[in-house]
Amino acid sequence: MDVTMTYATQDYWTWWIAVYLYLGGLGAATLTVTFLTDLYLKRHPCLVMWGAISGVVMLGLGSAMLFLHLLDHVAVFSVINPLVLFRKPDAWIAWGTQFIIWMMWWGVLYALPYMARSEAFLRLPLVGALLRMRWIAALARCCERYHKVVGWLATVNGIGTAVYTGLLLQSFPAVALWHNPGVPLLFTVSAFSTAMAYLLLVLHVVVRREEDHGLRVFYERLDLMLIAAELVILFSFFHYMRAGSESLYRSFELLWNDWGWLVGFIGFGLLVPFALELKGVLRGWGSRMPIVAASVLVLVGGYLLRHYFLAAGFYAHPW
Amino acid sequence: MTRYAMVIDLNTCVGCNACMAACAMENQTPVWKDRWRTYVHDKEIGTAEEVHRRFFPRLCNHCDNPPCLTVCPTGATYQLDNGIVLVDDELCMGCRACAMACPYDARYEVTFADIERGRDFYGDLQRERPSMDKCTFCAHRLEQGLEPACVQTCVGSARMFGDLHDPEDPVARLVASGVARPLLSHLGTRPNVYYIGDLKRRG
Repeated sequence: MDVTMTYATQDYWTWWIAVYLYLGGLGAATLTVTFLTDLYLKRHPCLVMWGAISGVVMLGLGSAMLFLHLLDHVAVFSVINPLVLFRKPDAWIAWGTQFIIWMMWWGVLYALPYMARSEAFLRLPLVGALLRMRWIAALARCCERYHKVVGWLATVNGIGTAVYTGLLLQSFPAVALWHNPGVPLLFTVSAFSTAMAYLLLVLHVVVRREEDHGLRVFYERLDLMLIAAELVILFSFFHYMRAGSESLYRSFELLWNDWGWLVGFIGFGLLVPFALELKGVLRGWGSRMPIVAASVLVLVGGYLLRHYFLAAGFYAHPW
Repeated sequence: MTRYAMVIDLNTCVGCNACMAACAMENQTPVWKDRWRTYVHDKEIGTAEEVHRRFFPRLCNHCDNPPCLTVCPTGATYQLDNGIVLVDDELCMGCRACAMACPYDARYEVTFADIERGRDFYGDLQRERPSMDKCTFCAHRLEQGLEPACVQTCVGSARMFGDLHDPEDPVARLVASGVARPLLSHLGTRPNVYYIGDLKRRG
């Protein structure tokens, strides 16, 4: 049948879902990188506590954005129940909600032994009293004994959450920009890149210890590789979109003619931090400010990616 | 087993919008914010003397492979054995993933504010909870042996409703003949609303 097509973007999922996807990926990847660092690179209680608390806060804030956006807040209980995975194993939001919830639990449990020994935490009014409770102390000892298991459970859920943020968009077949396997890959790489940037900020601004120099350099190198990978994926997207369907080409026109995407995300969110970190890795910097600036830019760029991706999805309506 | 389907003949749709009105009254849709279970687009095709006016009714396509059902995290969107895709208002949390997944723009929000407004507008409102609402092929009418409200009210007989699994059904014949064709079939949704084109006949 001959149809005349209309192309339209959507206004169901706007900036607050972009925040949800951003904080979900960032929080989960932050927890994952922190715990893997502690498990296999360097025992680092301070980094673990910073990573765990900020990761859990990010996941909580991100989930709150989705929750506030719901039409019926009471009905959310059916998704919080883990049995939802048996009822709706095909729904990525069900998986994502479970990944996020369990990620938060394992994140707190992994950091618990360190918090129970931390003078700063023990001095906190409510938290200190909680940490001194006998059953919490026993739980902390148990988590310490099985810290590798807890760390890996957190890691599996963390990677799951990061991948989920992309799989969610991929599950919408009507929009060519989203419905392709490049999206989960791009979002996962971006999640881990922003997590590296966040942890570099923590190590440069908050936990400033000389003995962490090697760890900072390692994170810079990893972030450099992740940004490079992101650029390669975006390059592939550029060519995929340029010669795709009409829906895809509309997305191409919208994204690649937009200064916010080109200059804001690609320029300041990827290329500038890449140059700054490359200089840092090759020749070093006399000050920590360039890497701090690069980290901030990567973090802003991570949000812009998700914001623009949601905004640029075109539906092809046959009327 | 019955497999319900609808055929819409674009040649005979006169754009009276009676289907929209009948559906709105039958299913109490939030018309005050221009949200409908079925909507008739009014479009001009061509230029100058060659212009054609096309009325294009659309609704939920009750797909055999519905993406809105797959993405629904609570199981609020479900499918009957006869192919009708329904929403359980009690289970729907309104995440809007179904609206994002639907290629036919068939989902719309009904909020608590709409329910309040609906009580004033329609009187005895049938719903208690908000949800991402959609066409049900008037499943409640089918149970009583009636046609969907939009089909029954259509003055041009542009809408036909029937059973695809009954070879003698006129709808099944139209679909089998290839005259009536689905929208966006390349997406793999296997829709059950079919259209008879008008542009070739109009030259």
